[in-house]
This record gives sequence, C-alpha cells and structure tokens, in this order.
Amino acid sequence: MRVILILIKKEFLQVFRNSLLWKILLLAPLAEFLLFPYTADYEIKNVHVAFIDHDKSTLTADIQSKFSASPYFINHGDIASKQEADQMMKNDEIDFIIEFPDQFENAIVRQEQTKILITANAINTVKAGLGSEYVQTVLGNYFTDLGEQALQMSAVPLSALNTTAESSGEAQEMTASVLSHTPQAQLVTTHVYWFNEQMNYQNLIVPGLLIILVTLIGAYVTALNIVREKEIGTIEQVNVTPIKKWQFLLGKMIPFWILGMVEFGAGLVIMKLMFGITIQGSLLLLLGLTSVYLLVMLGLGFFISSMANNQLQAMFIVFFLFILFVMLSGVFTPIEGMPDWAQYINYANPMSFFMSALKTIILKGSTIENIRHQFIVLSVMAVVLNTAALLSYRDKAK
Amino acid sequence: MKLPFRKTEAIESPYSIEVKELTKCFGSFTAVDHISFQVKKGEIFGFLGANGAGKTTTIRMLCSLLMPTSGQATIAGYDLATQHKMIKRNIGYMSQKFSLYDDLTVFENMQMFGTIYNIPRKELKERIASSLEMLNLQDQAKTLVYSIPLGWKQKLAFATAILHRPKIVFLDEPTSGVDPIVRREFWDLIYAAASKGVTIFVTTHYMDEAEYCGRISIMSNGQLKLIGTPSELKERMGVDSIEQVFVKFVER
Repeated sequence: MRVILILIKKEFLQVFRNSLLWKILLLAPLAEFLLFPYTADYEIKNVHVAFIDHDKSTLTADIQSKFSASPYFINHGDIASKQEADQMMKNDEIDFIIEFPDQFENAIVRQEQTKILITANAINTVKAGLGSEYVQTVLGNYFTDLGEQALQMSAVPLSALNTTAESSGEAQEMTASVLSHTPQAQLVTTHVYWFNEQMNYQNLIVPGLLIILVTLIGAYVTALNIVREKEIGTIEQVNVTPIKKWQFLLGKMIPFWILGMVEFGAGLVIMKLMFGITIQGSLLLLLGLTSVYLLVMLGLGFFISSMANNQLQAMFIVFFLFILFVMLSGVFTPIEGMPDWAQYINYANPMSFFMSALKTIILKGSTIENIRHQFIVLSVMAVVLNTAALLSYRDKAK
Repeated sequence: MKLPFRKTEAIESPYSIEVKELTKCFGSFTAVDHISFQVKKGEIFGFLGANGAGKTTTIRMLCSLLMPTSGQATIAGYDLATQHKMIKRNIGYMSQKFSLYDDLTVFENMQMFGTIYNIPRKELKERIASSLEMLNLQDQAKTLVYSIPLGWKQKLAFATAILHRPKIVFLDEPTSGVDPIVRREFWDLIYAAASKGVTIFVTTHYMDEAEYCGRISIMSNGQLKLIGTPSELKERMGVDSIEQVFVKFVER
C-alpha cells in the first residue's frame, strides 16, 4: 500500500511539473468543447440560390420572395441568361439554380402539368443533398399554402444526382415536376423527436466529445507515459527493485484514472454550463460507467506500452485504434447505417458500448436496468485487458 | 508443496557471486560466451573490457533484468533462475545511463526508491539525511535532479542504489564522463561501502581505476580472458601497469 501511494505521488508530481503535459490536459478539453460542437453541425445554412425566370409572373416573383425570406437561403435573384447562371455555379458563387419555364403561372392556374428545373452544385454532396430538400420544402410549402395544387416531387433524380456528381464534380440537373390535381385532402407528416426534441446536434456531439476526452487520457497518456520511461531508462531502475508487477500497474493506473475522472467531471460541467445539456439519468451511474470505461482504456494503454519500444510506435498504435474506435462507435455517425460486418466488429469496440450507454443516460435518463448489457461488456473488457497488460508487462528483457 | 520460485532460503557460500557458463545470444550473435567466475563477499571486483565486450549484458543478466540464454548464477546465495525476487531485494544497481527521475527532486527520488524497498518511514528519513550528508548534498535535497551536475548525479545514483543496504551493488561504468576530482570522491564512496561489507561489482574504462579493485577480470568478445589481482596480472604479463596489461592483452 505504501509502495502504491508513493508511486501515485511520484506520478502526480511528474504530471504537474511537466508544464506542457498538464497544460494539454487542461486546455485540450476546453478547446475541444469550445470549437467542435460549432464546427460539427450537420445543419446547412447560407445556401446560395439563383433563379432563371422565363415566366416573370406574379407567382414566380412570389416564390422567389419566399427564398429571400428564408434564413437558410441567400437569394441572388433573377439571372438574365442560363450561361451567366452556369458561370456563377462554376465559380462556386451559387449552389442552386431554379428555372421556371415560360407560361408557368398559366399552367398552374389551368392545372396543367409543368416543370421546374432545379440544378444543384453537388461538389459538396452534403450541401447539395440537404439543400435540395430545403428547396423542395420551400416549394412544397408554397404550393400547399396556395391551397390549390399539391406539389409532388419525384425522388429519383436526387439519388442520381449524388452518384454522378461525385464522379464529374460538375453541376447536375434534376427535374421536379409539379403535378396538377384537383384540390384534395393532403396527408401532412409531422415529426416528434423524442429525447432530443429540437434535433439539436450538440446533444449528440457533446457526449461524443466527453468520450473522446476519456479515451485520450486513458489510452494515450498511459501508453506514452510508460513507453517514455522505457526510453529514458527509468523503468529499468524500477525493475531492478523487488517491486511487484501489480504494484507497478496500479501505481500507473490510479493516477491516470483520477486524472481521467477529473477531466470527465470538468467536461460534464462544461456540458451543462455551455450547452445547457442536463443529465437526465443518475450522475452516479454515469460516473460508475465512466470509471469502468476508463479502466478498459488504461488497460489498453498499458498493454500497448508493453508492445511498443518507443513513443512513436505507441502513438501509431493508439492513433490507429482510436480512429477505428471513433469511426465505428456511432459517436458521429449512426451505427445503424453501417454494413452488418462493421456492426459485428463493433462488438469488440469498447467506445461503441460506452457511447450507447452514455448517450442514453445523459439524454434519456436510462437506469442501470437499461444499460446493464453495456456495463457487463465493459467490465469484462476491463478485466481482460488489464489481465493482458499485467501478463505482458516484462520486468525482464528477453 | 513449495513452489520453486517461492523459495527464500539462501545457499551458504563464501562467494557473493558465482557464475557458471553464463551465456547470452541475441539471434546469431553471442554477446556473452560461457563465462564463469566467482566474487568473494566484500570484494571490489573490477570488470574490464573494451566497448561491446559484453560487460553491460553480463551485469544486466546478473541483476535479473535480462534473461540468460544458458548457464547458472548464484547472487547473494540465491539462484538467478528461480529466486529473482530475493536477488532483487539484496542487490543495488546503477546503470550506465543515469536513470533516476529527472523531474523529481533529490529527496523525492531517494524517498521513492527507499519506499519501494520497504524501508520503514522513519528509518528511511534518517538514512536519506545521512546519505545526503555523506555526499555533501544537504542543500540540494529539494533541487530537481535535472538541474544538478553529472558528477553529483552519479554520486546520488550510487547513494540511492545502496540506500536499502544491499549485499551486492552492481555499478555499470559509474564514472564515465565525470571529472577526476569527482571520480576520486566516487571511489571514496565505493571504499566506504566496501568497508561495511558490501560486495562491489564495477565495470570501468579507466585503467587507473582498475588498480583500486581487489581483483579484476578482462573481457573481450564475450569471453572472460583474464582474472586476478592487479599485481598478479601485471606480474604475469611482465608489465608495471594495468593499462599495459590491457594493451598487451588486446594486441594479442
């Protein structure tokens, strides 16, 4: 016990004397939280749109004013020629061209079929995809409001747009047809998003950041710290003493476990103060889950350190695993959208279990019953990895 | 049933180090080639050899930091193959490269290592105080180790290596890179420890230092070529200094 205490003391002294390390530990999470949630927003604003209006009617002018009024669009107005509009799109000044045919208004009034041509700049596929949806929504709302026609868009051209756009990188055309019908009752779909009613992306991103933070401290800092001792030779001076492997292991893990929990706590405070996200479930449960996850990461870091001979190697291994974990974890993209084999790989991904449990505790208020599965899996992983770490640690070179 | 690695009894012997046919191969390269020797209790044993002769490899095996390929050794009466925990309790080690913690103070380093060896708290404080006094480092107790000069660092490393009063202390080129005055002071420390019955196993490049040893051995290409007291070796080779012994031997 005395041995472990002195090792913990030593580790903390070193962390706080290493001015760079502890500044990184302090500033990295802050920077992450200050920047990331604003940059990783899936919503698209400032969609640049221009019109080619062959009709020049009251109706088309009215539609154009709807786009001017929308906060999502910047209206570049009516462009005289198609060439000019194409050139603007090539220069990346506009994202969408909406072209009204001649006699558009008359056709609508006479309830005949007519077409609106929507051209999307699909170099940024996300913007093109979401933008088309917005355009269709604005147009759809307009015609619904008009109360006379139902506007129906064909969904086919949109998917064609995405695939061809990627290969050519050029603007693609899509056709939307306004089908005229006799006025009839309409089915209006409304959505209620449970547990994240505003569909606020920050509610997903911020817990994801918490996870990244804990992972970095657990795996990165631990692995690098031990490998550094290998590099400068201090570990040999320790290995020549009668210290026991588990004492050494605990002496390394406890300090970084404490640091990880403190960082996590700080992250929770930032989450509440800056983003107003309140933990719906039990704080104690959340901390319990995190401490188990941290043990998994510490074990992993320790295990990697016994394979790596220098800090560069350790960095590469942790970085590779980290990217893999993040991509598969569902932190930024939904797991449900991944192919089956990727979902199977996820059974070995601790971050994925942690993410799903943490999200539901924070956003949904899940209890231990709801996340028992994740808790058990993470506990087993912690035991396995730490045993592996203990067994693979060599106090004697081969 | 008692498991072999739990054995804690030492073998009674007049020797503190006994090495038989110790060998270490790294792949096809034989770094240490079937060496055998004995070191008596309380002796200062000098381990000489050119760079790459296998001195450090030997020391690391004897300190249980490196697995031997074959051969046996008994350190402080304990079997190297089966009783390494007992060996570690009874030896001190100072590596070629300074390896105390640079970002801890002098006192913190000694306190940490002393605690790992389970020296009782109060006793440890007293030992650190008297060590620092002996080294004339009382005023530097709270100085971070990276800021003290190399000569002092080496003396500190030695004091830390003997803090737990080991029976044997292994010193791997302890005086390389330090000035002649510190080297003399360092040897005073070695003599002081030896006078208390500690066996000293020391490797060195400096031939004048070899003269201070009770017995020396010369290693070359992984083999132990010569062993004896400095005067024996000089007589045998018909020269007046160890330096000449060494040169003559290398020329052969």
